[in-house]
Formats: sequence, structure tokens, C-alpha cells
Amino acid sequence: MPEIFINGQPVQAADDETVLQAALRNGYFIPYFCWHKSLSIHGNCRICGVQPEGKNWVEIACNMPVAEGMRVLTDSDLVREHRKATMQFITLNHPVDCGICDKAGECTLQDYHFEYNGGRSISIDAKVRSTKHVELSKRIVLDNERCILCTRCVRFTREISKSNALGVKQRGDESLVRASEDGAFDRDAYSDNVIDICPVGALLSRSFLHQARVWYLKPTPSVCPGCARGCTVNLWHRKPEWKLRALDPKQNVSIARVTPLENPAVNGLWICNKGRDLAPIFERARAEQPMLKGQPTDLPGAIAAARGLIAGAKQPVALVSSWGSNEELAAFAGAFRDRFATFVKADHLPADGEPLQDDLLIRADKNPNTAGARALFGDAPAAFAEGTDLVLVWGEGCNFAGLPRGAKVIFLNAYLQPENGHADAFIPISIQTERSGHYTNFEGTVSAFAACFPKPPSVADAEQLFAELAPPAGRRA
Amino acid sequence: MPGRQLIMNFPVTATSHTLADYLARGGYQALKKALAMAPQDITKEVTASGLLGHGGAAFPVGRKWSVVKLNDNQPHFLCANADEGEPGTFKDRWILEHAPHLLLESMLITSHALQVRNAFVYIRGEFDLPYRRLAAAVEEAYEAGYFGERILGTDFACDIVVVRGAGSYVCGEASGLLSSVEGKRGYPRNRPPRLTVKGLFQRPTVVNNVETLANVAGIITMGAEAFKQVGVAKSPGTQLVSISGHINRPGVYEVEYGYPLKKFLFDDCGGILGGGKLKCIIPGGISTKVLTAEEIEPLTYDKASLEAAGSQLGSGGMIAIAEGTCMVRLLQVMLRFYHHESCGQCTPCREGMGWMHRIIDRIVGGKGVPEDIERLYTISKLNDGTTICGMGDAAGYATVGILNKYRDEFEYFIEHKRSKLSGNLEAPVHA
Amino acid sequence: MKHLIPEFEKWKKRFPPGFDSAMVMLCVRRIQDDRGFVADSDIDGLAGYLGVPRMQIEEVLSYYTQFRRRPIGRWHVQACRNVTCSMRSAEKLIDHLARKIGVAPGNTTPDGRFTLSTVECLGSCGTAPVVMINDTYHENMSIEKLDELLEGLK
Repeated sequence: MPEIFINGQPVQAADDETVLQAALRNGYFIPYFCWHKSLSIHGNCRICGVQPEGKNWVEIACNMPVAEGMRVLTDSDLVREHRKATMQFITLNHPVDCGICDKAGECTLQDYHFEYNGGRSISIDAKVRSTKHVELSKRIVLDNERCILCTRCVRFTREISKSNALGVKQRGDESLVRASEDGAFDRDAYSDNVIDICPVGALLSRSFLHQARVWYLKPTPSVCPGCARGCTVNLWHRKPEWKLRALDPKQNVSIARVTPLENPAVNGLWICNKGRDLAPIFERARAEQPMLKGQPTDLPGAIAAARGLIAGAKQPVALVSSWGSNEELAAFAGAFRDRFATFVKADHLPADGEPLQDDLLIRADKNPNTAGARALFGDAPAAFAEGTDLVLVWGEGCNFAGLPRGAKVIFLNAYLQPENGHADAFIPISIQTERSGHYTNFEGTVSAFAACFPKPPSVADAEQLFAELAPPAGRRA
Repeated sequence: MPGRQLIMNFPVTATSHTLADYLARGGYQALKKALAMAPQDITKEVTASGLLGHGGAAFPVGRKWSVVKLNDNQPHFLCANADEGEPGTFKDRWILEHAPHLLLESMLITSHALQVRNAFVYIRGEFDLPYRRLAAAVEEAYEAGYFGERILGTDFACDIVVVRGAGSYVCGEASGLLSSVEGKRGYPRNRPPRLTVKGLFQRPTVVNNVETLANVAGIITMGAEAFKQVGVAKSPGTQLVSISGHINRPGVYEVEYGYPLKKFLFDDCGGILGGGKLKCIIPGGISTKVLTAEEIEPLTYDKASLEAAGSQLGSGGMIAIAEGTCMVRLLQVMLRFYHHESCGQCTPCREGMGWMHRIIDRIVGGKGVPEDIERLYTISKLNDGTTICGMGDAAGYATVGILNKYRDEFEYFIEHKRSKLSGNLEAPVHA
Repeated sequence: MKHLIPEFEKWKKRFPPGFDSAMVMLCVRRIQDDRGFVADSDIDGLAGYLGVPRMQIEEVLSYYTQFRRRPIGRWHVQACRNVTCSMRSAEKLIDHLARKIGVAPGNTTPDGRFTLSTVECLGSCGTAPVVMINDTYHENMSIEKLDELLEGLK
């Protein structure tokens, strides 16, 4: 545990640390572009240079192993000159695209320019041009003029996703980040993480391109429902005070983008591409109309009908949702554990061509709370004993053709599907983004999600609904 | 002869590069002697000799070798640097074409000293004849049992591969060379770690210049003390100097360190083309600072003397420049070279080389402004000590060296939109 | 490139075991010498044979100036434009070559006979100006000598 001195102050460093790591851990900020805590050291941007006390040069801190008694300065005149000079070089050929660049507002280059340079370029020569709007993959667009060749994206594909799909072609100031010609980057299930780690606006999401300025959006912590890993994410949507008035009101209640929410216990800094595409999953056409055998009714009417069916059933079976939150599942257990033969349903199965399971994050179980549900209801496969006369189906993925003939059906579903109209009682319910709750992942780790949007007025929250559906004896006071 | 000859000490004939001729000259006796020594004793001898690297950095060779820990249960590697990309330099080529076995024998001795089982020579891709000579020598050596298992009946085993480059100057930088041997882009690396700790494939590796290694056999044969008798105190031994430019007798000369520089230029090399006057020299590859005709008057050819004059020995690639040569155009050619060769990893060099090239192109094209001179100084300074490898610094030294001594030519070019001199880079005598 | 694998297997014996990636530079050159350039299928083949990522081969091909992915003329005329050669009339030589061959540096004649390139220092400054044609150095060149040389290259 060597003791080093930063700006004259003693700092306890760890044995295998670099000066950069020791400094950041102890509140001394040193700027960096190419260094990343989860990637190998490249040391190409040079902006993390610090001055060894007593010397008249700078050395990069990201590749400087700590040694007992080492003394460095992170804020001397020489260091400030060096940072300013480095910024001059990095912005020498960088296009002033800020006005049309999605990264504005969360761009390291912008931040460092104001912090460490702030002045004009000393060059009078035209900027070197390069390729813009390169389709690096179907999901990611690359602007080589903005790229500062920090190689974080390349190192990510070598060290984290291991697709080896990105590299640098040509050399010198004609160097270009490119994807391998065999389409490997399109097949990299973690490709979109390079968008997060790119310190400038070179790598951008095509689905988010020019959709919104980031300062009009707020992130709400949530959990990706795409598989049993349950990566924590941020769902970005318009801030209430920045709602759009002129356009489609749906834009104000939609997810603009999804980014990873760092979580050492579950997903670290990353999510897979499926987690990026949560908007198409959540924002499918919603069921908002309660019905009795297809006939529209109001919510109290549907609830009353369902309650009646439950009260009169002799052998009811329930298929509970593996997308239900721990709170909703507990409410069901509290209301119906002794009443229904309850089985856990896999609401979603892997789609054709979807990655099944890998060594990184992706799990074969494509549901977020199988573990939470099984903890309450076991893992037996659904079985309909002789005489089953009522099936309560909660959530998607039920094979209705496989239900016993003659059994009544109560169906609780958020999304529009034809079977909604066939159920004896159909009650539309809320989705994850409209409430808060918790999921338990396949390792038993519990993660929280929070509400982003209000639920449609005519749909029920399953948690409250179960209490209302229970026979009077089971109803909560 | 500019002093005593240790390497170029035999007549070059049609067969002098062959194994038979080399053996007749006493070849592979040093190997026999070395194999009877303990590895650490070989390193001690080389350290005692004071041998400095001939690749440009003049680093003490024994000190570099000593960092490699013996008996540490992992492979060690040796790479001979035959990339010879520094403009003005063509002396390693002489060794490859005429004395390849001297290199191979020296590499075997070095491999024994460093417990190296697999040695490499990295030769620039353009060197076709030198490659074929070296490859033929390797086959001869294998056939004679100098490579492979149980060399000369001992436990020492060694294999060698000649890897060919393909057109990248920074692959002459030791870590860029190793990146290329690893089958990747020739990207130099940051230190730490030193290559002698983590080099080729992250194993302890020694990279030495061809000429540096070529000295090893001789040091074992004559001993460190005898070696130190050649040359001068801080620069023992000799240097193969490649001299070219506006000189009457260009070529490779073995110069004993301490030999008077002016004598070398005007006696041994015949002075300036067509009887012209010397303007300046680039002493050792274009990265070394130019020395004017006045400055070289008192100098001897060795490390201390050149450094005291504000320059370096460098790679031994000396270029003689005649009076009347436009230094602005000369710098333009150099900056174009550095721009072309930048690997592009680190910010100051990647952006800076192109920037300097564009500035000087603008000056030569008649569109320079007075501030451009300060810009060139600034960019040079900002590349000094801030880059991954020495190329950024080198471009800066070349620029600053020329600007410091010939600023008037730049100011003239900017003001009058043409060269103060003929603007032609050929020796003005032809006019 | 599969027909070259037996040759590569022989080379492997002298390489340190387990470090096959070190064969890339030699294998690429051999493939290029065989075909005249490196084809897309060669990239797949070599990456598979050596067990390296395809991107590594792609990067290597784009980084080094001597590697090419397209065929060039029968005679690759490479004129050095660096310091000493420029001091010994290389600039005049290059202008002459461009006019004589009929293409600007970086281009191939329509009949596929010549490709003209300018290159950096070839390590032959003592015999400047130097022109490399395919693998051979032609030293102490002059306009007259070059004209004679090109005449003989069909």
C-alpha cells in the first residue's frame, strides 16, 4: 500500500494502481479520454499527463504505476499548458458539429474544451475531412471526423464482447475506425455499448439519431425485462417541463433511449442490444378496454364478473406472469395461494435468431422475474387436473389452445391480442414503466424499477386488482 | 580508412558473404568460446566493453541485457532490428549483404547470454537482396548445425526466423517492431513495462540494432578491454557511417569513434560535389539536429563531442548538404515523410505531423504567414516528450534544428513567396 | 491461399510454439507474391489458419504500404522521394516518370503495364537517386538510364 503525494498531499494508493486510479479514487480529478476503468490501458490521448514533482515534463498518469514516495502535480502551470495543448491537437481537425451532434450535453470533448482550453484554435489551415455517417452496423452510425481515435470501441470488442469486430484501418491522421467486413459487428449482441463509452459524438445510435436533445430527457432507473439477468438500466424520456406540445402526444410518454445503469452486482457497465430496444417492447399496442367475452364493459364490471367466476370455481388454476413484480406476485400469493393451483408461466420465449445464452450477460430465460415467481409458486410445469373449471391467465405467452375445454378464462393482459376478446373476463393491466417494483434475477439479486409514465386510466394495477378479486374472506381490510 | 576497422575488415568479393568465406576469416570461433561461458558472464563482458546501441538511442547494451532475469521459467526473445528506415541510413544493409554470418553468430552468442530459444530478425520489406542474402545465410547456418538443437554439441538450442516488414518507418522503433512481429499493425507501445520485462507477446525481449549485435562476436573474441582500446572513453569501438547527399564519395564507412569529423568528410569522403562548399550536415538520420560547416570544425565523431555541439550520433546516417541548398524545401521533404509515417495512435503526433506538413506546404506554395514559424516551433515543442514513441519528438528536433540555424530562409520564403536560394534541392554546382 | 499451407506448416517449425500470430507478416507477403495481391478469401483463409481475428488481417493489410488488396501493373515503379534522393534529382526523375509512363503517382496505366508510386527512403541513399521496380533496387538512376530500363520492361 504505497503512499504517494498528489499536489503535496499524502494519498494512500493500492499496490497495483496507477496514479490516475489513485487520484480519481481520492477526489483529484485528472482528465482522460482513452482510459476506461473496464478496458486495457492504451495511453494515446495524452491528456492525463501529470508533472512529476521537480521535473519539467509531463507523463501520462493512466500508465504510471504508483511507487512509495512518488510525488506528482496534477494542477501545475506545466500540466495546465499540457492539457490546453492536447485540447488544441484533439480539436485541430474536429468538426464543430455540436449544433447537430447528438452527443452535445454529455460530451467529454465539450466539457474538457471549456475546462482546459476554451480558446480558439491556433491553426489557420482547413480541417482534414473524413467520412461522416458511416454505417458501422445496422444499429450504429460512425462519424470519422468527430472520432478522436481513443480506441475505446475497438478495445471493447476485443476485451468485453470479444467479437473483435472493430479495428483501425490506414494510419496517421487518415486512420479510420472500421468494422470487419464479414459483418461481425452486426452480430455483436453488445455492440451498442460502444455508443456509451465513446467520449465524443463519433458513435451514435441510429434509432436515437436526432430524436431529442439529451438535456430535455431525464433517466428513470429500471430493470430490463429481456431476460433473467435483469440488468439495471436508465430509461430516458422527456422531462415533464420539456414536454412537446405541437407533436404527437405519444412522444411525451415514450422511451427515447435506454442506457446501462452501472451495477457491480449484476451487469457492471454493460447491457446487450436487446436492452436498448425496450421501447418497441413496452410500446406495443395496448389493451385498454375491459371486456366480457368480447363485449366492452367498465373496469368495476369486469372485476365483479371475474370475482364471481373465482368464487364459483371448484378447481381453479392460475398461470402467473414471470413479468410480474415481486410486489404483484406477493399480492397474488396473499390473495389466492390456497385457492388456485398456481404455476409460473414463461411469458416470453426466445425469438427466432435471438442469442440464447452466453458468458457475458444474456440468459436463455427471456423473462425478468421467473426467480421471484418460482420462489412463491415453485417450478412445476403447468398441469390442468381433471375437472379444472377456471383458468386465470396473467400476462402474455399462454397457449390458449392448450387450456381445458369448458374451463372459464379470466385474462389479465396489457397488450392487444385476439384472445383478449375470447376471455370470459378480460381486464387490461399496467406495464412496468407505469409503476414501481422489484424483480429477482436468476442469481437471486433483487433490483428496483421506478415508474416513468402514468398508466392509462382504464387499466388496473395487478397488485391492487388481486385483493379486489379475492373472495371476501381473503380480501384485505 | 577513418580509423581502425572491426567489422568492415575484409575485402568484399562475390563470395565474402558465404559461410565458407566467413569460416575462413575465423567465423563461429567466438560462438564456440561463448558457449563455454555462463550466460551472465557474456553479459558482464558486453557491459564491461561499454558497447552502446547503434540504432539511434546509444543506450548501453549490457545494461539493457541485464534487465532480463535469467532462469525465470518463461520464454525470452531476441529481435535484431534490421528495419533501417531512418532516411540517410543504409549501413545495416552492408552487414546484411556482406557479413550476414557475423550477425547470426553474434545473435547466437546473445541468445545464449539471454537464454533465448527463439530469435528473430525483423528486416524492412523493401530490402530484397539483403533479405535473400540473410535467408541464405540462415539456411547455411542451420545446415552446419549452428541453429537448431544441441548447437556445437552443447545443451544450447536456438531457432531463428527472419520476419519481413512491409513499409512502415515506426516498425524501426523497438516496440513498433515487436507489434509487427506479433502480426499486427506496427504500433509502438507506452513504457512501462519495459520490453526487457514484457516485450514480444508480453515476454522479456531484447531488441538490438543489427550493427550493435554485429559487435558482439568481436567483443567475445578480443575481450572487453581490447574493445575499449578502440574509439574513445565515452564511445568505445566504431560506427558504420552511411554518408550521402552532396558528397563526392557516398557510401558506408567504418569510422573509429574519436576520428575528426571534418577529416572524414573532406579526406575520406572526398568533400562536396563539384568542389562546392559545405553548408551543413545532418549527422545521424534526419531526426538529429543539423550542424553547420562552422560548428563541425572542431568536432570528433563520437557521442560526447556531438552532444556538446547540440546534436547526436543518431543512426549514423550522415547527409552532407552543399551551400546554396534551400533548407525550407529540405524541411518540407522531411515533414512530408513524418506525416506519411505517423502511426496515428497518439494525439500530438497524429495531428501535429499533418499540421506541420500543411504549414510548410503552404509556405513553399507562397501562402505562408509570419506566424507560421512560431506555429512550427510550438507544434515541435508540444511533441517533445509527450508522445508514445520518439517519432513526434524527432520531427520536432529536425524542425527546431533547421529553424534555429536557418530562420532567415523561412522568413524570406514567407515574405517573398519563393526560396532565398535556388529552391532546387540538387547541388547548385550543376547550375 | 490453401495451397500455401504446406509451406506455412514448414515455417512453423522454427517459430516459437503457441505464437502463430507471428507468422502473419510472412504469410501475407507469400500470399501476395503468389496471387499478386491479397484477396478477400485469402483474408478468411489466413485468419482461420492462424486462429487470429479477421479484423487483425484487415488492419494489417491497410496499415502497411507494401500490402495491397487489388492487382497492380506488371511493373511497379517505386521512386524514392525522400531527403537524399531529392538532393540528387529525384524530383526531376519523378516528374519525368509521370510524363513518360503517362500516369500520376498512385496510378496504373490502362494497359496494366506500369504502376507508378512514390515511396519513402529505401535505405540506399549512397546510390541516390533510387528507383525500385518490383523487388529490385535500381541505383544511381538518371533520366537516360530510366528510359532505357523502362524500354526493356514489357
